[in-house]
Amino acid sequence: MRPGPRPPLGRSLLRLFTVQGSWNYERMQGIGVGVAEEPLLRDLQEAGDGVAYRAAVARGAHFFNAHPYFCGLAVGAAARAEHEGVPPEQVERLRTALCGPLGSLGDRLVWAGWLPFTSGLAVVGVALGFGMSAVLGFLLVYNVGHVALRWWALQAGWTYGARVAVALHQPLLQRATAWSGPAMALAVGAALPLAARALATPFAGWARSVLLAAALVGFGLLWLSRGRLTGLRFGLALLALAALVGWLWR
Amino acid sequence: MSIALFRIDDRLIHGQVVVGWGQPLHVGFIVLVDDAVRASPWEQDLYRMGVPSDVEVVFASTEEALERLPEWEKDPRVGILLAGDIGTLVALSANSHQVKRINLGGIHHRPGRSQRLRYVYLSDAEVEELRRLAARGVEITAQDVPTARAVPLQEFA
Amino acid sequence: MSLEVQLLLLAWGTLVGLDLVSVPQIMIARPIVAGPIAGALLGDVRTGLEVGVLFELFQYDVLPMGATRYPEYGPATVAAVSAAHAAAGAPGIGLGALVGLVTGMLGGASLHVLRRLNAGAVRVAAGALEAGDARVLMHVHVMGIVRDGLRAALVTATGLALAEVVRFVAGALSVRGVTLLGVAAVAAAVAAASAGTLRVVGRGPSLPWFIAGVLGGALMAWVR
Repeated sequence: MRPGPRPPLGRSLLRLFTVQGSWNYERMQGIGVGVAEEPLLRDLQEAGDGVAYRAAVARGAHFFNAHPYFCGLAVGAAARAEHEGVPPEQVERLRTALCGPLGSLGDRLVWAGWLPFTSGLAVVGVALGFGMSAVLGFLLVYNVGHVALRWWALQAGWTYGARVAVALHQPLLQRATAWSGPAMALAVGAALPLAARALATPFAGWARSVLLAAALVGFGLLWLSRGRLTGLRFGLALLALAALVGWLWR
Repeated sequence: MSIALFRIDDRLIHGQVVVGWGQPLHVGFIVLVDDAVRASPWEQDLYRMGVPSDVEVVFASTEEALERLPEWEKDPRVGILLAGDIGTLVALSANSHQVKRINLGGIHHRPGRSQRLRYVYLSDAEVEELRRLAARGVEITAQDVPTARAVPLQEFA
Repeated sequence: MSLEVQLLLLAWGTLVGLDLVSVPQIMIARPIVAGPIAGALLGDVRTGLEVGVLFELFQYDVLPMGATRYPEYGPATVAAVSAAHAAAGAPGIGLGALVGLVTGMLGGASLHVLRRLNAGAVRVAAGALEAGDARVLMHVHVMGIVRDGLRAALVTATGLALAEVVRFVAGALSVRGVTLLGVAAVAAAVAAASAGTLRVVGRGPSLPWFIAGVLGGALMAWVR
């Protein structure tokens, strides 16, 4: 079967913005991915009393998990494969094989790259006194990348179908992924001392010394007891300690 | 020591593995043991795309993995060995004393399996397999990322 | 604080909570955004920025991957800003941190409950889903989003209530006590952010960049 003209991708893209709306332990993003793929499958409705359509919709909603911004690749690729009459087992295999790599790529590029990179720059901006403009700048810049990625993923998925690995060889994506780690490290690295300095400004001399000591001890504890101690638990413990000391030493 | 982690994870190479474990362990190579992926060039191409260029990915069938395990153990780089199902690691550890610890990373829902942890679904037969493995002295824990607690097998199966 | 402002904060916290996982993930859920906007709603952008930076630091300790459990700092930051603002005069950042961390923990736990509820709904609808019923599929999905909205509202409301309680208690603290709380909050945030970032940076090629960043940032902080 040859695919017809490209179905309009807009509705699918809009639905992709909700892709994790029904995230659950059983199918993870599966339902959301199915919801986003469904508009692309509608032209299968006419063939064979809609049997092909319903089977494809059911497959589309099976277990899936990857990075949310990259889900469009799987949605587009699976929909294209369904149109091309790829056998069901192959479609399932394609979806399964896409989970890991799209998750890994997105986690590196976005969660451990673009997001902390831009947020680090925002923290630097706020610490340097740019205030709300730094915050709004972050929202704008981050989302230019975010929306571009979602759109690229969906249309590349549809373009390449089962040969979707080709799309991932795209040089810009490769370069961005390689640079996202160092860029994030640089930005967040710079943000740390600047944020510490800005937040410590209201405190007197003795309090700043206590702050430095507590931060160093905390870093050591968190580094050594990974897996047991989280930043949140450490924060609560330290606050409890501070409240106790403050109550005793009036 | 060279293979730092023997992991069962049905999504094979994904973010938790590459970013969660790979980064702090400073991993130099990942061995992916899966007969179907070993036979499928396009799937290998995909999985390779999920990994930074300085990390080598080795695709092996269960049989090849048995053969090459001693070689990987001698590798000066730190490695992770990944398999998508329990059977593969059962076969590996039955024929090698090098598998002393097994990490359950993500085994997701499938008909016949029931939920044991957030990210671990097991059928009764799979639980039996794991228990037999543990009885032979293999330490089995579930831990999705290094910052989470390693949950011993007895606590969930 | 007027009821009107409280309702505005509740609405903002709900949007922020929805954004983290469900819709549309434009990262208004990041404390660096959630905080300053909450501050603007209170007419106190400065406190919003301060608390926003504080919790953005805590956020660097978190990587939201797969089914991992993590605290939710968006609605928590909104509640923290409300608490910090209420403790006007003294540096309220410590009180804000207290409210925010507790709310963040609650938010994380609520996500876990939500994901189980969603799994239950999927199980109930499994037959229709396997038959490829697009209407049921859509229904399951939309209900998931509705549930998350309710969850986010509930977490924010609890956080805001907590902020009111803390505001009441704050009067009993000595100036030194309030200062110590603030010091503890900032120290913990800096420690969490450093350890969390370094964990992601690892020992690979990004490490020199991280060190360069820290040195550059320290230099800038020194010069200013």
